[in-house]
Amino acid sequence: MFLPAGSQDQIGEKLDRQAKVIQSFRTVVKDRGFKAIETPVVEYAQTFNNSHVGMKLSHMLKWFDRDGEIEVLRPDWTTAIARAIMNQHPKQLKWFYQGSIFRQDKNGFESRQAGIEIVRADPYLGEIESLFTAVDVLSAWKIDNYLIELGHTAIFDYFIQELGVTDDTKKLLRTALHDKKQDDVYRLVDQTNKPSIAKELVELTEAYGDKTILDEYKQKWGNRPELIEVINHLQSLIDNLEALGYKNIIIDLGRVKQLPYYSGVMFRGYLTSTGETCFSGGRYDQLYDQFGDDKIRAIGLAFDVDVLANHIKDDQTKNKVCLVCTPKTHVKAEKMRKDFPDSVVDITYEQPNEEDYTKVITVRDEVNQ
Amino acid sequence: MKPVIALTKGRLEKQFTEYFKSLGFDTTPLTEKGRKLRVETDDFQFIFAKGPDVTVYVEHGIADLGIVGGDILAEYQPDVYDLFPLPFGACRMAVATEKGKVWPDQKKTIASKYTGITKQFFKANGESVDIIKLEGSVELAPILGLADGIVDIVETGTTLKENGLVVDEEFMNFSARLIANRSHLKIKKDALMPFIEKLKSKKGV
Repeated sequence: MFLPAGSQDQIGEKLDRQAKVIQSFRTVVKDRGFKAIETPVVEYAQTFNNSHVGMKLSHMLKWFDRDGEIEVLRPDWTTAIARAIMNQHPKQLKWFYQGSIFRQDKNGFESRQAGIEIVRADPYLGEIESLFTAVDVLSAWKIDNYLIELGHTAIFDYFIQELGVTDDTKKLLRTALHDKKQDDVYRLVDQTNKPSIAKELVELTEAYGDKTILDEYKQKWGNRPELIEVINHLQSLIDNLEALGYKNIIIDLGRVKQLPYYSGVMFRGYLTSTGETCFSGGRYDQLYDQFGDDKIRAIGLAFDVDVLANHIKDDQTKNKVCLVCTPKTHVKAEKMRKDFPDSVVDITYEQPNEEDYTKVITVRDEVNQ
Repeated sequence: MKPVIALTKGRLEKQFTEYFKSLGFDTTPLTEKGRKLRVETDDFQFIFAKGPDVTVYVEHGIADLGIVGGDILAEYQPDVYDLFPLPFGACRMAVATEKGKVWPDQKKTIASKYTGITKQFFKANGESVDIIKLEGSVELAPILGLADGIVDIVETGTTLKENGLVVDEEFMNFSARLIANRSHLKIKKDALMPFIEKLKSKKGV
C-alpha cells in the first residue's frame, strides 16, 4: 500500500516530541488565562477565499459537496477561529488552539500548529501579551536560541499612498518587496509620478537587522509623523521585551504582509541554529471587518509544532524492565508493575534479548514450585 | 561558519569566476577545483549545482546565497530573496519558429524546456496553447514537426539561425542574479553583507 506524495506516517519519538510540545504549550497558555477552541477540519472554501481573507483556492485541498459548494480541509486557523468566536460570548478575549492545517503549496499537505488569538482586547495589551506568551512558551520548551523579528504593515501602506498607484502596481510592488528584488522595486516606482521615492523603497529592502535600524530610520523619517509613530511603536515593544529579559530582537522595516488581512505589527520567531521559522503572527483587525461594522481588534500567533518537535530535547530515557512470564503468571507480572514506578515495564512470554533491557526478571509460578 | 554560496555549473560559473576575480577575490580554488562539487576558500564555501538545484539548496538553507540565471527563477519560482541582477549571463526569452511559418488557425503546439514561462506568456496574451516539455535541443521540435514553435532562451541567435528558425517575438530579458535564503539573510547578516555589498558594487541599480 502506498501513500500520496506529501502524506506521511508519524512514528515513535517524533510523536512523543510533538505531544510534549503541545502539552507544555497547553499548560503555559491555560495558566495565562487562554481558553481552548477547536474548529472542524472541513469548512466551506468561501470562509477562506472571500475578499476579506484572500487565501488562494489553488492552495487548498478541496472538493464539491452534494449541493455543489466547494469544501476544503482547514487551511488556516486564524480565519476559522474568527468565524467561530463571532458566535461566542464577547467577554472571553484570549483563545488557544492546536491541530493541523492542510495546504497544497508546501511540501507535505499537513502541518501541525499550536497558537493563540486575542480578540477585542486593548490593542497594546494584545501585542505585549502575544510576545510575552511566545517568550513564555519557548522557555517552557527550553528553547533559548531564537530571534524575534518585528515588522509593521503601515510602512508599505504609507509609501503606496504617497505613490498613488493602481491596485495592480501595488500588488507587483508588494511582491517585489517581499522578494527584496531591488531592480523590480526601482523600476516599478520609477514609472510613477513620484520617482524620488524609488531610492527610498530600494533602501527599505535592506532595512533589516538589529534595533539600531530603528534609530537610523527615526532620523531618516524625521518629517513623516506617520512613520515615526510606527518606529516608536516598535521601539516600545522592544523596550518591553528587553525589560522582561529578552534581547534577541531583529527588525525588518521592509517586510510586507502576505495575506490581505494583516494590519499593523507583524512578528516572527527564527531558530538561530537552522534559520527555521518557529512562530509567526501579527495584528489582523481587518479580518473581522467581514462580520459587520463594529471595529474588532485582533492579534495572534501560531507556533510550528513540526519545527519545534525537532528541536526540543528528548525526555531522559527511563530504565527498561522486562518481566518474562507465562499465560499462568501473567496476572502476577501485571501486579509487579507497581514495583518499578519510574521504569518502562514490558511483559513477554519469550526470553528477550538481554541487551535491550536494563533488567530482565523471570516471573515464576510459586504454587507449582 | 563561512557563508555557503551555491553556484550554477557551466557557463554561468565561468562568468561568475571572472566577475569575482575582477572584484579582487582570489579565484584560484574555483578555477583549480577539478571535478569537486564543493570548494572552500579562505572566506567562503562554494557548492556547484545545476541552476534549478541552486534554488533548491538556497530555499532549504543549505546554501545562504546563490548565483543563478533569471530564467531559472522565472520558471521555478523558488521561495527565496531575489536580490539583484549581476552584470553577466544576459539572455532573452523568445518564441521562435521555422522561417516563413504560417501559424495554424487552431490551437498552437509549443515545445519548451520552460513550460511555466511558456504557460504564463501565452496566458497573459489571452491565448490557449498545448505545451510539450523537452529537455534540450528544443530547436528540433518545429523542424521535425513536433510543435508549431518553441519558447527558449536566445543569447546570440546563432543556434536558431543554423537550424532555420527565426524569432517571432521576444518577451523577457534575463541576467544572472544573486538570491538569498529568506531567514539566513537576516540571521547571518553580518557575515553575508560584505559579500553582497561587493557584488553590488558594479551592478548600478
